[in-house]
Amino acid sequence: MNNPENQDGCLIWEFDFALSTYYEIELEAVEHLIPKRMSIVEVAPGIALLALTALNFPAGALGNLPEFQELIYGLVVTPDLSRGVPKFAMLILSLSSTNLEHLEHCVSYYKLPVFGQFSCVNIQKEPHEVEYEDEHGLITTMKNVHPNPVYEPGERYFQAFVEEAGDLYVADVLMKGSLFEHQNTGDAGTLYNHPFFRGIDMEEAEPVAYMQMFSEPGSLGKQYYPRPVKFG
Amino acid sequence: MYTFQIPHLGAQRPEVAVQRISGEKLDLISLANYNYLGYSYHPEVLQAAKDALDIYGLGATGSPVLNGTFRLHQLLEQKIIEFFDMPGYGVSLFSSGYGANIGVVSAYAHKGDIVVLDRLSHASLVDGAILSQATIKLFKHNDYEHLDRVLNRLDYKNTRILVCTEGVYSADGDTGHVADIVRVSKKYGATVLVDEAHSLLIAGEHGRGVSEEQGVLDEVDMIIATFSKSFGGVGGCLYAREDLTNYVNWYARSRMFSCALDPAVTGGLIKALELAGGPDGQAKRERIRSNADYLRARLKDKVDIGDSHSWIIPVIYGDEHLTIPLSDYLQRQGVDASLMSFPAVPKNQSRIRLFVTSEHNQDQLDRGADIILQAAEKFGFLLDK
Repeated sequence: MNNPENQDGCLIWEFDFALSTYYEIELEAVEHLIPKRMSIVEVAPGIALLALTALNFPAGALGNLPEFQELIYGLVVTPDLSRGVPKFAMLILSLSSTNLEHLEHCVSYYKLPVFGQFSCVNIQKEPHEVEYEDEHGLITTMKNVHPNPVYEPGERYFQAFVEEAGDLYVADVLMKGSLFEHQNTGDAGTLYNHPFFRGIDMEEAEPVAYMQMFSEPGSLGKQYYPRPVKFG
Repeated sequence: MYTFQIPHLGAQRPEVAVQRISGEKLDLISLANYNYLGYSYHPEVLQAAKDALDIYGLGATGSPVLNGTFRLHQLLEQKIIEFFDMPGYGVSLFSSGYGANIGVVSAYAHKGDIVVLDRLSHASLVDGAILSQATIKLFKHNDYEHLDRVLNRLDYKNTRILVCTEGVYSADGDTGHVADIVRVSKKYGATVLVDEAHSLLIAGEHGRGVSEEQGVLDEVDMIIATFSKSFGGVGGCLYAREDLTNYVNWYARSRMFSCALDPAVTGGLIKALELAGGPDGQAKRERIRSNADYLRARLKDKVDIGDSHSWIIPVIYGDEHLTIPLSDYLQRQGVDASLMSFPAVPKNQSRIRLFVTSEHNQDQLDRGADIILQAAEKFGFLLDK
């Protein structure tokens, strides 16, 4: 892969909490969100994966920023294998944060599709459980459904695609930390009908948890995130 | 250490001999094959196969719609019709179970139609749905309430809808909720296909499958049978109303463009069906159920066997990294078992699948269970650990 650590403009973000859930969702409900030149990965015919990640960045994680929380949502798409073989590739569709400075930086530096600022965030680091809300109402509740996580030091390389003014950009992102992933089934929380999800009718789409990844409570992980480059 | 695709040196009996890549030969108790009723090596079945071979030769050497249909094939169709004993029904033969599912689904549904599949449907149903170019919808495994919601959201007035389910699911050994799925599907005017691959000749009073067992045989529109499991041969068929099977005969491309069933197998299948429809089949059905109950009782509460109620018993060991060493261990201790690992099943839900037959005796089941439990102890998946 293109090692993000060596790429121009790579920023290292330290996080002390990360919880990602990948939801199966009907392709029909989300395909309008993807540019024509990209294709959605189908884990079963007609079933796409919606990725939702909650992060907590402690004070000083990047520059002088105070502690803040982020929620990022995207759809799993086919990767560009000429860049390396990632764990997955994702077209990022929404990002919100508790910190305005962080949001401005996400737009100017990473071209990320910022949605807005949260009004209320609750993160329980152990057990992994989060709740995000803004002026429009609840966005999501999300929780781990595995009773006995076994954490191991690891890294996950993924490709983060964004679209800006009709152009696609990609960044090779590397996450390092003490991590665990599983595919247990269970009640992983709720995705609410909310503009953060860009018009998906969650009640009709009935997303179902497909996989979860999260970091070990009390541990610090690092996200190596270079400035995205134009794709194609 | 590599144990997959290991050559077997004889018929799929309760005890088999295998030869590993190294040349080493091992004698094993087989809990890995689908020869549920032992018909693949039944003397009468073999004699019928030999007789057919003498008359018709090795292969059918032609498409069933051209020169490949023999009198023998028509006889098999007739025997299947008699076995189900429902007037107005017909049979469409295929040279594999996979071919039957992809052929039937893609012949029945087309662009603009909707195929609704159980989330754990067999690959052949999924591939048939993809090939049909119909819109594919999935419902949660065996969840007829979710199926109801999926169907309720469809614009079904001008659309052909095909709902597919299975009699017994081979990854978990659980039974399809066929009766509930039929009831919900009919509410929306949908056609129902039940793949009885792992249940025909076994489930139901007369061995007519889970559809018979749940009292909805005459409400199911299409039954798919596979001849490579309880029949002990190879091939498959659609059993449905005669007008539908006539249609499928001409529009299922996997049938039209494949050679017809080979004669020796066809002869053997006829005999296997005769036996299964009589006292032999009745006795074997009772034995396989009691054998499965016996093995389940030996394993239950000691290892995780999921929700199995059938002759397929999964033993869930979890970590996919154990698959190769565990498989190697089982073979060296004397068990031929079928392991399923990620991504065939979700992460950390890897499993040994145990296939019980009517032909196992109690000693073989005990030896098999002992080895499975030893493996559970050694690899750390005993429940009390």
